[in-house]
Amino acid sequence: MNKRTQFYAFVTLIACGFTSQAFAQAKSCIELKTTAEVEKEVVNAKGEKTKVLAPAGKVVPGTEVVWTVTANNVCKQPSDKVVINNPVPEHMTLVANSAIGAGSQITYSVDGKSFAPAGQLTVKENGAERPARADEIRHVRWEFKNPLAPGAMAIARFRAVLN
Amino acid sequence: MFSARLLVGLGVVSLCGLWAPEAHAVGVPAGTSIDNTAQVTYTVGSVSATATSNTTTVTVAEILDVVVTLQTPSVPVIAGATQQELLYRVTNTGNGPETFRLQMTSVIAGDEFDPVAAAPSIYFDTDASGDLSPGDVPYVVGSNDPVLNADEFVNVLVVNDIPAGVSDGNRGFSRLLADARTGTGAPGATYAGQGANGTDAVVGTTGADSDATGQYLVAGVALNVVQTQAVSDQFGGTRPLPGATITYSFVISATGTGSASTSIFTNDIPADTTYVPGTLRLNSAALSDAVDADAGDFSAAPVARVSVQLGTLTQASGTQTVQFAVTIN
Repeated sequence: MNKRTQFYAFVTLIACGFTSQAFAQAKSCIELKTTAEVEKEVVNAKGEKTKVLAPAGKVVPGTEVVWTVTANNVCKQPSDKVVINNPVPEHMTLVANSAIGAGSQITYSVDGKSFAPAGQLTVKENGAERPARADEIRHVRWEFKNPLAPGAMAIARFRAVLN
Repeated sequence: MFSARLLVGLGVVSLCGLWAPEAHAVGVPAGTSIDNTAQVTYTVGSVSATATSNTTTVTVAEILDVVVTLQTPSVPVIAGATQQELLYRVTNTGNGPETFRLQMTSVIAGDEFDPVAAAPSIYFDTDASGDLSPGDVPYVVGSNDPVLNADEFVNVLVVNDIPAGVSDGNRGFSRLLADARTGTGAPGATYAGQGANGTDAVVGTTGADSDATGQYLVAGVALNVVQTQAVSDQFGGTRPLPGATITYSFVISATGTGSASTSIFTNDIPADTTYVPGTLRLNSAALSDAVDADAGDFSAAPVARVSVQLGTLTQASGTQTVQFAVTIN
């Protein structure tokens, strides 16, 4: 491939990327956003120590990161059967039973295919089933029981430690 | 006319303890990006849809940690010995590449003497021999500070001379210190932007510095030989006449806290006498004259001589008695 052909191929790829993204955004009724935060201890006005969440920019191994996923319904109709999937980020270990999400059924998965509630997830080892350890869980799923009304927001959250 | 000789190998004392566990870095390499993207599925009316979130990235900051471990628990030395080395290992237990500065000191409380730092006093064990060799490169602070990747280590020799006036059983401590050039401090102290790939560097649990202390133990050993002889002449008397037999006995003992390894007793057959074949004994047990599996042998050339290998001798070994007989020519 000569240089000229390479250049055109590059431009085409970029253009395609922008087109599909714009299309998806225009169509989606739910805006999904993730944030990473860490707990920091601060002293409040009363002189008490409290924990607040601060943006996690740079973290050292062993740090617990709070991952929050927010789903906003930006359409004029309700969204039903809202299911949020979040893989546990690479190099991180899920804090056992740390996933929360008001109004949702939370399940976990090792392989991303079979999901089960906390404590019911098993893995096969040497032909026998055993409970999955927190460090083996690679996916978290929140299934919201009720429709998400227009303008409403659903929150899903879990904690994971940087390896 | 007569000389008994003992060839004594280097005294070796083994002491247990002081071994530190292997140091290991923990954690994802500094500068790694941790990305997270969530996905949602839902239905509006009867239409199913999916959406993907933004990707949130967390960058792994650098932890500054180092561990120095002693590799030679105790080094036996003798008074006045020079260039005696202690072997240490410096391991980067952080999660990113880091440059470390090395320092040594031998003025430490709690011992009986201060070893004297040789010049230079710190070497890299370049040839991985575990001791000071011609190929080992001297350390020069600020010039060849070791740069170690996460989990990487370097073996370092600290070299001291032993003063002449020390006594058996005296200990002399010597210490190697290593610290991260980026900075040290209380765990959690942050050096913004000074970590690998422009991340923050954060002082880890070791404080980003570490040291280990080794010791020299004066472990002298002296071998003493007491010789006796008995003459029996062919007429039933004890006169040293030509043809009379002289039976020599040598009683060897070790004193001191050290041990004499590969100790060998040798004795030239005195002039004007002839060795009586088959008379060599160690602790009353007969030894053959041939060079073979047993500890002793007699050789006629180049010099008529008996030799007995005594192995490693310590004070606890007790006395060793070597005997042989000659006839007067």
